[in-house]
Amino acid sequence: MEKLPDPVQYAIPLFVALIIIEMIWAKRRAPDKYEPKDTLNSLLFGFGSTVAGVLFGGIMIGVAYSAYAIRPITIPWTWWAWGLCFILDDLAYYAFHRTAHRVRWFWASHVNHHSSQHYNLSTALRQSWTGFFAAGFIFRLPLAFIGFHPAMLLFCGALNLIYQFWIHTEAIGRFPRWFEAVMNTPSHHRVHHAVNPRYLDRNYAGTFIVWDKMFGTFAPEVEGEPIRYGIVKQLGNFNLLWGVFHEWAGIVQDLWRTPFKTKLGYLFGPPGWSHDGSRDTSDMIRMRWEQSRDG
Amino acid sequence: MTALAIQMAASLATVMALGWLARWIGLGGDIRITDTAHAISLAHEGIYGFAGVDAAIDRAGYSALVRDREGRHVLIMIKGNKFVTRLVTPPIEGRLDHKLLTIDLREPDCAPVTLNLGDKAQCWASGLRHIPTAKA
Repeated sequence: MEKLPDPVQYAIPLFVALIIIEMIWAKRRAPDKYEPKDTLNSLLFGFGSTVAGVLFGGIMIGVAYSAYAIRPITIPWTWWAWGLCFILDDLAYYAFHRTAHRVRWFWASHVNHHSSQHYNLSTALRQSWTGFFAAGFIFRLPLAFIGFHPAMLLFCGALNLIYQFWIHTEAIGRFPRWFEAVMNTPSHHRVHHAVNPRYLDRNYAGTFIVWDKMFGTFAPEVEGEPIRYGIVKQLGNFNLLWGVFHEWAGIVQDLWRTPFKTKLGYLFGPPGWSHDGSRDTSDMIRMRWEQSRDG
Repeated sequence: MTALAIQMAASLATVMALGWLARWIGLGGDIRITDTAHAISLAHEGIYGFAGVDAAIDRAGYSALVRDREGRHVLIMIKGNKFVTRLVTPPIEGRLDHKLLTIDLREPDCAPVTLNLGDKAQCWASGLRHIPTAKA
């Protein structure tokens, strides 16, 4: 029961086919939805992430098995456990993802996924190379500790990742209301990738958008407001290595230059935090936007 | 190990093929800064709250400088088929060569930008010498 295939490996041909279909759609409808250099960059991010997974994935699995070894109960390998595991794994993903946007240490890795100014299926593959170093996997460890088998967790996590691929598109508008109410969709996830002040730090969901609605981080896509994608300070070039490591480099630079008492803030404060208020966090930008709207 | 190497090589080949395909079928497009209002709008979008009052646009429309009432400047640069903005803050290096104004922001990901501003170049170069120290 512990030997399960990696569903992502089986999904890769589908990813490639869907990217080609979306490119053809873009050629006919909106060629500017793609930029060849950006696309190549995103795909190389994905390739590098796979290499990082091969190199360091074993450590993550080992830690998960260590947590499972001290479980108080064993959750059986039955149908309801699979459903429960998928739902709880999605909740764990929400917690990770929200933290990845609110704590600079985790953002330094996750920023890779957001650094494209385009939003298409190639952006979905723009994955971090430093996720293992940032240790984002700790958010899933409690599930192993309470008794979900690591193989089950890995399988559910992979299904979650596959689900999130197809929502990275502007080719799909909105689904029927019942679907948009429960599931994460292209519309909801466009909001998540936007840098418009009203959308900053919203819609962290993986598969089920209900988590954002439960925890107060949901924002609907507003018709008539064009979405601008990327990060608050867009990257100035297509240099792959700079793209991968720029936030880590920024952290090192800040730790080197700033007063001792403030250093933890540059590591674990929100992205954009500074001890002298010389930079903007997303909360500060949003506040200015709300003030301008109110008054 | 060999199977893994073959899988990685195939993945990399697929990545390169998709990148090539995007170029081959002509995705991307050509964008330009069309006028002062467009430049001011881009500056506001890029640096939220920046209220530009005047702009100097490069002849080709690939870059621009926008300034606000306080004398702060925003540099707009093209990147692929999108624009990137930066608030111009010291230390910077500006070089004026007749109608060409070159600005080096001294940021690791921003190469020096040369704007062909025509007769406006001297005026805007002068403005850059008096920029206030502002929020990054």
